[in-house]
Amino acid sequence: MSNAAFTFSLAGAAGQGVQTGADLLGRILTRHGLWVWSHADVESRIRGGINIMHFVVSDRPCEYVAGAADLVVALTAESAAACAPSLRQEGLAVAPAAWTDPRRLSVDLDALGSQAGSTKVVATAAAALVAAMVGVDSATVRSTVAETFSSRDGGIADANRTAADLALAEASVLPRLAPDLRPESDHGRLFLSGHQALSAGAVAGGVTFFSAYPMSPATGCFIDLAACADEAGIVVVQAEDEVAAINMVAGAGYAGARAMTATSGGGLCLMTEGVSLLGMTETPAVIVVAQRPGPATGMATRTAQEDLTMVIHAGHGFVPRVILAPPDVGSAFRHGALAFDLAERFQVPVFILTDQLLQDGAATLEPPDLSNLPTARHLVPATELGVRDDYVRHADTIDGVSPQAAPGASRHLVVVDSHTHDERGHLTDRPAVAAAWAEKQQRKEASLRQATPPPLVEGDPEGAILVLAWGSAVGTAREAVGRLRLLGHRTALASLEWLWPAPEEELASLMDEAAMTVAVDASVGAVFSRYLTLATGRRPTMTVTRLDGRPFTVEDLTARLAQEVSA
Amino acid sequence: MTIPPVERSDVPCTWCPGCGNFGILQALQKAFRDLDLPRHRLLMVSGIGQATKTPHYLTVNTFNGLHGRALPVAQAARLAARDMTVVVNSGDGDAYGEGGNHLLHAMRRNVDLTLVVHDNRIYGLTKGQASPTTPTGQRASGDPRGVVAAPLDPLALAVSQDCSFVAQGWSGRVDALATLILAAVRHRGFSLVNVLQPCVSFNSTHTGAWFRDHADEIPGSHDPTDRLAAMALLVDHGRRGRLPLGVVYRTERPSFEEGLPPSTAKPLRERLPEPSAVLTLLERFR
Repeated sequence: MSNAAFTFSLAGAAGQGVQTGADLLGRILTRHGLWVWSHADVESRIRGGINIMHFVVSDRPCEYVAGAADLVVALTAESAAACAPSLRQEGLAVAPAAWTDPRRLSVDLDALGSQAGSTKVVATAAAALVAAMVGVDSATVRSTVAETFSSRDGGIADANRTAADLALAEASVLPRLAPDLRPESDHGRLFLSGHQALSAGAVAGGVTFFSAYPMSPATGCFIDLAACADEAGIVVVQAEDEVAAINMVAGAGYAGARAMTATSGGGLCLMTEGVSLLGMTETPAVIVVAQRPGPATGMATRTAQEDLTMVIHAGHGFVPRVILAPPDVGSAFRHGALAFDLAERFQVPVFILTDQLLQDGAATLEPPDLSNLPTARHLVPATELGVRDDYVRHADTIDGVSPQAAPGASRHLVVVDSHTHDERGHLTDRPAVAAAWAEKQQRKEASLRQATPPPLVEGDPEGAILVLAWGSAVGTAREAVGRLRLLGHRTALASLEWLWPAPEEELASLMDEAAMTVAVDASVGAVFSRYLTLATGRRPTMTVTRLDGRPFTVEDLTARLAQEVSA
Repeated sequence: MTIPPVERSDVPCTWCPGCGNFGILQALQKAFRDLDLPRHRLLMVSGIGQATKTPHYLTVNTFNGLHGRALPVAQAARLAARDMTVVVNSGDGDAYGEGGNHLLHAMRRNVDLTLVVHDNRIYGLTKGQASPTTPTGQRASGDPRGVVAAPLDPLALAVSQDCSFVAQGWSGRVDALATLILAAVRHRGFSLVNVLQPCVSFNSTHTGAWFRDHADEIPGSHDPTDRLAAMALLVDHGRRGRLPLGVVYRTERPSFEEGLPPSTAKPLRERLPEPSAVLTLLERFR
């Protein structure tokens, strides 16, 4: 499992362009032919403080979080000091002279910036420097920098190009890092963040209506879709609050749009009655929940996986739903692309759970395969409606899914109601009618259960230590499980991308055949463990948690798993 | 095949005999007939309250949503299907209480739809609590010593926000109300029609007779395009304890739809997913 991997941190104060520099560097390294995973370790502020982008670079996909860095490049002494504890003893650092540490190289990024004519280009200089130290050719660095700033005015573009040139010159006398990495050429790979992948997936999946209220870490999806609204033909509306957002999704979905919203846990709290409305009106919807630590306002820019049980139960009454959770950036695209088809097929809300780590993390990706994506809709076609004598929205059916017509598609009227209703959509409280619809909803959920895929299992769980993980923790858990295997333990990993309805039988037999089960649970309150019990009636043997709003690191997780299994 | 006009549906009506909603229902039906719109092009959206049962009693597309939440549903449905005419039925509690925030922002957006508020100055469905328009001092089931707060002034609120069509009618005169509703529906943008009505079961103060005695037709001399004059008219009527009937204010400004990309104009129900369209988007990540 220990292939060559190189880790580093790019750090500075908010407002210095660390995130822009990180994005630039990620693209350069990807074009060079390496695999990159970066994640954001930032404070909730616009200027000052400490923002860090952590990188893992390898010659194979490497979406896991590393706790130890081989290199630190810091634009301020304060951020250098913050990164110092994770810098290896034999590691190297580029930082202002005020940070006195024997690992510091004598490079002055601020001087390079001044020479280039602007204090705002230090992050570009840093990116070019790291790229060169890792062996990226100058041409790739220069062309990527030029492209990145081509739309900015001449002065800014020039200053950035000059900064890169100066950094490349400086790097020629610095140590060459990660010589074991083998880049591949001519691959056409992409470098993008979790939210960009999710939004692009939604476009591929046919999103036509998006409404949201900005909330970290979900806002990225809103900005992405607003930016391509014209090109992709999406109605994007900034709602006045989350209650409006979810009710807009309901209205648009009823009218035949593929409708979506994105929020975090606190916003979903406000949306729950709307979720209930989606269930009662049987309206398809895609709801992204980008998790962060709670409760209440919690930590806006930090990460957690705490909202799973809330999302399972969100909205009063019985509301069949699907809950997906992409484990990495490529899956975020795929889930975005498939969620609308799923929602429309069963006429249910489909939740896509991500978190700050995945939303703001960025990875190298093969261009996605679009050939298998659905291109048809599940609404009753207007031509078919035209020859029908009658249409009712909530027709009683065996599989629980009633044909959905959009209003205005034909002369047939479409009536839906938030009250308990009859097949025609009008209010009722007659017991037989209420029960018939309730039974139909239960059959709908049974249909969803039949479509539920099994967990992904890596390794042989029989008599082994079975590690269970979901969402952004999977990559790190996979790496840790691999390292445990090298230490001589019999390990396996079970991960879930489709969490609800739960694959109850498969999960239960997996947990039964393992010698012990360990839940990787980034929550306060044992949320994942409770989910496992809810789904299977079994408790994991043990749980490894984080309570601090930070992601699991591979070193930390490996050590704690090793400790648990020896105990 | 000919598509029938909007008619009464076969859904049994549960309003009390003498309810002001009957007059509003008749006025709506008359307005829809005069609009000469095929019924499947009409969408009525409502929240929760006695008023919000209105769509069920007509043969129209209906979305009877959550309490206070009709406006987000209506705006989104209209943006998703701009070949539909959208009318919202709400009550004074649904529109001015639970739904207050949505009303403010609907005025700002100016999506082309009409909000008809059935204002009976009380909560009928839940049996007699004060509503945001119940006057100070009136007794109600939750305010046995009399309402303490001042009532909301929905017309002044609307005019202050440059709401593009602001009118008030009353349920006792069906023809006049139908004319007002027709004008509101024909207006490009968000139209507010506050309709005064009695609640025969829970509001013994604001009876049909009381409304007749306190309401005045807005004189022909009033220029509804003059916002200051509209505000002055409202303040003046308020001081004298009179209720103005007619168009208080109207203005022309672009509807929200006009500000959306042309690529979204076709009804979204007709759109198909085009996965290959994402390739251009993904190019920028190379």
